[in-house]
Amino acid sequence: MQLRRWRHPWLVCVAALLSAAPGLGASADDANRFEIRNAYVELKDGSWQLDVRLDLGLSRAARQAFDEGVPLTLQLEVEASTARRFLPDDTVVSMTREWQLAHDAIANRYVVNYPVTGEQGSHTSQEEALAALARISGLQFADTTQLAEGGRFEMRVRASVEIGELPAAIKMLLFWKSWSRSTDWYVWSVRP
Amino acid sequence: MMRRWLPVAIGAGIVVWVAALALLAVTAEGSQRLGQLQPWILLVNIAGVVVLLALIGGRLTEFVRDWRRRVPGSRLRGRTMLMFGGLSIAPLLLVFTFSVLFLTRGIDSWFHAEVREGLSDALGLSRAALDLRMREYLERTERIADDLADKSDGALFSALDEHMRLAGADEMIVASSGGQPEAYSSAGMLHGMPVAPAGELLLQIRQGQPYVGLEPVPGGGYLIRAASRIGVEQSLQGARLLIATYPVPQRLADLAATVQEAYQQYGRLSFLREPLKLSFVLTLSLVLLMALLSALYGALYFSERLARPVQDLIAGTRAVAKGDFDTRLSMPSHDEIGFLVTSFNDMTRKLSRAREEAEQSRAAVEGERAALAVILAHLTSGVISLEPDLRLRVANHAAGSILGVDFDQAVGESLTELAARHPLLGQLYATMQRHISAGESEWREQITLRNDAGRRELVCACTALPGDTGAPGGLVLVFDEVTQLLQAQRQAAWGEVARRLAHEIRNPLTPIQLSAERMRRKLFRGLAPAEAELLDRSTHTIVQQVETMKQMVAAFSEYARAPELQLIEFDINVLIRQVSDLYHAQDPRVAFGLSLDPRAATLEADQGRIRQLLNNLLTNSLEALDGRENPVIMIETKRSGDQIVLTVIDNGPGFQETLIGQAFDPYVTSKPKGTGLGLSIVRRIVEEHGGQIELENAPQGGARICITLPAVPREPRRAEVRRESA
Repeated sequence: MQLRRWRHPWLVCVAALLSAAPGLGASADDANRFEIRNAYVELKDGSWQLDVRLDLGLSRAARQAFDEGVPLTLQLEVEASTARRFLPDDTVVSMTREWQLAHDAIANRYVVNYPVTGEQGSHTSQEEALAALARISGLQFADTTQLAEGGRFEMRVRASVEIGELPAAIKMLLFWKSWSRSTDWYVWSVRP
Repeated sequence: MMRRWLPVAIGAGIVVWVAALALLAVTAEGSQRLGQLQPWILLVNIAGVVVLLALIGGRLTEFVRDWRRRVPGSRLRGRTMLMFGGLSIAPLLLVFTFSVLFLTRGIDSWFHAEVREGLSDALGLSRAALDLRMREYLERTERIADDLADKSDGALFSALDEHMRLAGADEMIVASSGGQPEAYSSAGMLHGMPVAPAGELLLQIRQGQPYVGLEPVPGGGYLIRAASRIGVEQSLQGARLLIATYPVPQRLADLAATVQEAYQQYGRLSFLREPLKLSFVLTLSLVLLMALLSALYGALYFSERLARPVQDLIAGTRAVAKGDFDTRLSMPSHDEIGFLVTSFNDMTRKLSRAREEAEQSRAAVEGERAALAVILAHLTSGVISLEPDLRLRVANHAAGSILGVDFDQAVGESLTELAARHPLLGQLYATMQRHISAGESEWREQITLRNDAGRRELVCACTALPGDTGAPGGLVLVFDEVTQLLQAQRQAAWGEVARRLAHEIRNPLTPIQLSAERMRRKLFRGLAPAEAELLDRSTHTIVQQVETMKQMVAAFSEYARAPELQLIEFDINVLIRQVSDLYHAQDPRVAFGLSLDPRAATLEADQGRIRQLLNNLLTNSLEALDGRENPVIMIETKRSGDQIVLTVIDNGPGFQETLIGQAFDPYVTSKPKGTGLGLSIVRRIVEEHGGQIELENAPQGGARICITLPAVPREPRRAEVRRESA
């Protein structure tokens, strides 16, 4: 059988590279799960508070960066919206919060920092610090005027982990590296 | 509008692009400040690359097309482009290579083992210093815990405050074994209620070990937390814990923070080592790509700029070679190329002016030639212009008419060959040859040309034309046919003679006749018979001769008389039949053959004069046929356009060759009894009706007279004849 010759070999090479590019990023990730296990809200002291439980599996690149001393940033995006007929959903609450996880080499402790309130916790092990970071409790995100009684709201939560303090240029130029990892949106309904 | 703003847009685009290039270099270093702009910066640079690629593609396409079509100047443009491109690309590649080399080595130099060891040592030193302080605080805490073991609950609080103040602690807590605070003393109330001890602390205490740890503080700095059991002999379940928190001296905390920051930064850089190198290389590559593309475009642009004037010059030269002298090139610059272009434009301007002058001269010459041709065409004189080798250059219509040659078809033909085919021209050519042989360049002569139709009198003048370089430029021959003029003059002279003869002779004839008759009547009876007979014979002779002379005078009178024509329409064929029947009746021996064209029947003429014409012709023929066997006279008519041709042919002896040219002259006759006025009168009648007459000897023998009469006569020539007669 005669082999069919490619008419444009260079085109085939480019197509192969393009198709392989996502695979490069995927190969950098390990099998650790990174997802929102559950999330719920409750009304406490006149404000709506959010509790989120995460499976915080880091990618190999993130873990390597963290071991080298690069801090990690956990970002949580919270949205509450009401559905409208014939119109786009009305976003009532949209909030983003960040936590930083860094290693203090002097104290040899892993520090979880919440810049919004200035709260900080230190842990002797990485797993303990990640476990603390994976439990977000009592995060105030709305008051009773925003999530008013009698309404029906759709809540959405998404988390992402980034290797923090990296130049944007490097992130952009080395776009195929998995500098960040995001969960899917975790969606549920709330009827205050 | 577009053209005016285009340079501004291009300039702005270049500025934006260069700024984006500079910002790309800055952001590649890791600037967080410009990090947000990174996508835009990259976008602008990519747009710049795309624009450059498009421009290069366009120019390369144009160049390749020109190269394939072998457009003049494309080779020069290609060489210039290669030269420019080589000169700019090679240094760029060299700089790029060395830059990448220096960059990678420079980044690698940041991560020497000595640097890492130094940082690790600094970290170890900091830890050692803090460990020393931690052990000290731990021992201090253990002593306080021992002291507090004997205190009652009431004294515990006051002792706790005292120990805290003495130990320099920030906070002291007495907690249960489960970690619940039971007593609390703090240097300030900043933290509010005491925080439950961490699990690790309790774990270690439960294991019977004191706890001491260094903990980072929000906002920077450290604190040392130490914990010990109060009263070691007690069981763990009932034991209390003393947890003391000590501040780290500010100086030590700052140094530790600096070391921590440096170590963390080093770790970050170490992690980013390869990405940073790659980032720099990619940035450099992008810059190199743009520089290469710019250099390539510059090479294309400047090669085109350099080659364009040369291309214009080549195109202009080709246009000039094709005769387009209006080509003007735009001035590219004021350098040597500009001087060349200026010279070219001056040259084409002068050529154009010269061509215009030549065109004007040519038009003038053409005009003169056309005018000359018109003049020649309308000249009644024949004009023949000959090349130096006697080839026909030009001849007018009159020359062809006089000589019976169609000169329009003979231009360029040798006169020798023409003369061989045309007898009249041959006789003229013989005269010319005679003068040429004699070396006469200018001559004038009256020539008599003869052919079957008669003779023609020409007055010729020949002169040599001047040539361009002194060589002979040919000959020009001008001639007039004066046959008609001579005949008219001769006819007028004979008319005058006839009129005078008629006038001078007719008058005395009657007295002579009367005198002779009276003499006979008076003397006849008185004379002797012999004398009477002599008298009778003499007077009879006188009377007879006088009668003859009267007839001759009548004939002369008839010749000289020019009566008014009475033009009527009649059938000439009928007239011919009548006259021929009359003559056939007189001499039945002569056979008349009539070939009469019905289309040639109607003629508007003076019937009496035409009858006289026929009488004279038939009389001539009958006299010529006298004594001939089988005499035949053929009469035929035919229509030729608006003319009627009448031909009379007999089988007589024909005209004598010596007299054929003068047959129409009065008193020219070969007959012993003829007056010589018959054909002269015939000719006069024909001319009075605006016709023509030719006579010749027929090839089979006999005379042939051909008369052409207009069916409707033009202005009769009688007045002219009269004027000539006068």
